[in-house]
Amino acid sequence: MSLTARTLEAAGIPTVVLGCAKDIVESAGVPRFLFSDFPLGNSCGKPSDVEMQRSILAMALNLLDTATAPRTTVQTAFRWTEDAAWKRDFYKLDMTPEQIARAREEMDGQKAILASKLASG
Amino acid sequence: MTTTEAPAEFIEATLDLPVRYIDRSRNYYLTLGYDNPYRWAHNEDVPFALMAKPVSEARIALVSTAAPYNPEKGNQGPWAPYNADAKFTRVYSMPIDPAPDVRISHVGYDRKNTSAEDINSYFPLARMKEAAAEGRIGHLNERFYAVPTLRSQRLTTERDAPEIIELCRQDRIDAAVLVAT
Repeated sequence: MSLTARTLEAAGIPTVVLGCAKDIVESAGVPRFLFSDFPLGNSCGKPSDVEMQRSILAMALNLLDTATAPRTTVQTAFRWTEDAAWKRDFYKLDMTPEQIARAREEMDGQKAILASKLASG
Repeated sequence: MTTTEAPAEFIEATLDLPVRYIDRSRNYYLTLGYDNPYRWAHNEDVPFALMAKPVSEARIALVSTAAPYNPEKGNQGPWAPYNADAKFTRVYSMPIDPAPDVRISHVGYDRKNTSAEDINSYFPLARMKEAAAEGRIGHLNERFYAVPTLRSQRLTTERDAPEIIELCRQDRIDAAVLVAT
């Protein structure tokens, strides 16, 4: 999504990106980025927390109005949970050889599905 | 280089830092035995376009990576495992009324902590409609756009993003809200 934002912006269309992967978005480099330090998949706020979702959208719209230079990142003040334990979970590496083999097999299957989709247009 | 020794604890959890997904995904795929880890985009220069008018007077489009729910494409519900079959391969647009049912089972989010049970956590259309009704958004575009996630930077920059630009021009869009998943 960062690359799409860059391409739109280069064509003169201002953009704001809402996201949770700070390193990925900032490495790609985007004009305006609203970062929430949440697990991937919750860029617009916690499920069922309408007030938080409203607040995050409002911050994104404010960023469109107020940014004056590219790479403007604003971080929302919300926490996903009291502690940071959820940050231990994604892409965990403490797998047994059997778990690694199973994960590899699963990923090969998913890659094959995508490859056949791309091949068939 | 050995990649089989897992750290006892990710430093981001210890110090409450933003998760370093580039490092983690790279180590994960190396551990799985793939020898060509994904190279995330890295750019020095970043383009910038100033808003020509305030959001409260602008035509705003929502741009998503979510896919229309298709009952024939396997599990796309809350806590669904990664589902490449639910991926779409071309840019699409759909009306915002009636509100579409779009899902994210086809992208690599955090399956342990993210339920994807509430569309509003990844597709802010309802919140944007409220903002338009309140006048915070001048005009919410009657259709949203979606970009496929195909792990190909070339397809995104050379084919898909230009198609989004064309849609924006057709709809005279002043600014876009993009949601990364």
